[in-house]
Amino acid sequence: MGAFGYLMIKEAKQFFGNPFMPMVLILLPLLLMLVVPLAANMEVRDVRVTVVDRDRSVLSAELTDRIFESGYFVPASYEDTYDAAMDELGRGNTDIIVEIPEGMERTVGRGGNAEIFIAANAVNSTKGSIGGGYLSSIVTSFSEGISGAGNSLPLKVVPQFKYNPHIEYKLFMVPALMIVVIVLVGGFFPTLSIVTEKEKGTIEQINVSPVRKRDFIFSKVVFYGILGIFAFTISFLIAHFVYGLASNGGLLEIYVSAMIFLVFMAGFGLIISNYSDTLLQSVFMMFFFVLVFMLMSGIFTPVSSMETWSQYVTYCLPTRYFVNILRAVCLKGSSFADLQFDFIMLSVFAAVINAVAVITYRKQS
Amino acid sequence: MDSITIHNLKKSFGRHPLPAVDLEGDFAVGKGELFGIIGPDGAGKTTLFRILATLIRPDEGTATVEGLDIVRDYRTIRTILGYMPGKFSLYSDLSVRENLEFFASVFGKDIDSNSDMIENIYCRLRPFEKRKAGNLSGGMKQKLALCCSLIHSPSVLFLDEPTTGVDPSSRRELWENLAELRDRGMTIVVSTAYMDEADRCDTVAMMKSGKFLTVDSPSDIVAQFDRRLLSVRSDDMFRLLHDLRSMETVEKCYTFGDTHHVTLKDGADVSVDGIAGRLGSEYGHTGVTVREISASLEDCYMNLGDK
Repeated sequence: MGAFGYLMIKEAKQFFGNPFMPMVLILLPLLLMLVVPLAANMEVRDVRVTVVDRDRSVLSAELTDRIFESGYFVPASYEDTYDAAMDELGRGNTDIIVEIPEGMERTVGRGGNAEIFIAANAVNSTKGSIGGGYLSSIVTSFSEGISGAGNSLPLKVVPQFKYNPHIEYKLFMVPALMIVVIVLVGGFFPTLSIVTEKEKGTIEQINVSPVRKRDFIFSKVVFYGILGIFAFTISFLIAHFVYGLASNGGLLEIYVSAMIFLVFMAGFGLIISNYSDTLLQSVFMMFFFVLVFMLMSGIFTPVSSMETWSQYVTYCLPTRYFVNILRAVCLKGSSFADLQFDFIMLSVFAAVINAVAVITYRKQS
Repeated sequence: MDSITIHNLKKSFGRHPLPAVDLEGDFAVGKGELFGIIGPDGAGKTTLFRILATLIRPDEGTATVEGLDIVRDYRTIRTILGYMPGKFSLYSDLSVRENLEFFASVFGKDIDSNSDMIENIYCRLRPFEKRKAGNLSGGMKQKLALCCSLIHSPSVLFLDEPTTGVDPSSRRELWENLAELRDRGMTIVVSTAYMDEADRCDTVAMMKSGKFLTVDSPSDIVAQFDRRLLSVRSDDMFRLLHDLRSMETVEKCYTFGDTHHVTLKDGADVSVDGIAGRLGSEYGHTGVTVREISASLEDCYMNLGDK
């Protein structure tokens, strides 16, 4: 058995000798894939509405009923004046104020126009804008109803949502979470393990032995790479069987891209371990870059909704290409031919970062 | 034949003005010699070990281990070298046995064919074979570290302060083990801060500020001590130290156990009784005893670097 073999055995003994680590390896993808998508939900429900009904007519009562029938809104309170309602909003007891003007029924009955006023708390911007949007569409359809025949408007928009028919944020999110698993297991684990050996001085004992340092590093990268693929497989199985993703196949595309990204993360982690002498240093550095990778590459928020300059930044982040591939394959069933650009870019990143890792590593030793 | 040779070795770190190791001239450690390096903290002992163990490169100069150049032939040296760093650096999350197996396999050996070398030390560890190395006591950790650095039967062994933080009986045991290994023909270089241990070495190098001040056998070092040395006591030891230092004939005064040791200046023509008399009459000390004594290794050490 060569040096590589017993180094791998040593890694395995260390990893499985501590019951905590194997548990993390299993629990991490389980929790991430099963719990986080439920909690991190962008859908807006149970928006609290305060009604200021200054008309107090049959029509205004009908409108109020219509709002609460929709299921998206719950009544917070009924106020007499707008100022009182504003106080409630300021205290955080309500999210949206609907003000029905005095004499609405009369004005509408005469065939005139009445203005319904909606004020939304936009501190939580999603809740504010989406809630406000729902509410105005309810008011619009209500006004269509009272203006008579119902076909008063000749054009009607009937949208159809492709690839994610119910516009579930969950399905947008799940491929991104699969990336997190690789980042943590394939990137963090080997880096921390190398730096721990530096910090504890065990690397010295290895250095004075005939074992080559590159075998030593390589054994860690390969060992944690295997664990990374294992954890990724767990999360992929959950994505497939629980969320019904990748129903059109694409297994090869997913695993090839995961392997390339794993190689990238290993090289990246190696650079960090080259430059840090303590665990604290490496954790901070790793965290900083991983946060940038996660938040700026369109994993959780769409790239198209970013500022123009930061859209350009995303081209420099490998996670952008990986998440593109995962989403396209999982949701749309795309194949290699459709994703050439992303695969090429991801491979370029993996190659460049590993070249840098080797160069900086030589300088250090 | 010399096991280790050193020629003008120099190593500096960063922008620090003084080099950590600055050995001018040639030094050699013979085969099967127990070579001790004593010196204060920061003398450059660990740096010297790390250079010889091929962990860092010297800025200038050359050194050989068993005839192999430490820069050019570092890979071969690593197969014949045992190195035990001052800090415990085995895998604390692996068991005693697993550590030993791992380090044996690192050198392409197995435990059974090399067990006679470590048997005397390992027999004490055997009851704890399954225990994690991190949970051993300080002395046991040192024994395990020694076993791991001996498992491949090295011809040269480097031990960096192996007895720091180890209880007296374990210290004695360790030195008995070292003497035994030396008798088998192993070259051993050991650094220590304890003078009584330096006495057990064949050759002692006293090191300070990166330089070897003297390199000789302990008995020759003591024999070369050329000052008059007094041992002084009185009832007020603290004031006595200060008063002795203020006397014009005294070159150096330092505490030594429960007495003060005093070296006299060259050509100072004072008798033992003269000093005792002056301490009593001039300085008002009571219970004064002054004796002329012969130097120990520690006295030699304390008077180094003033020459």
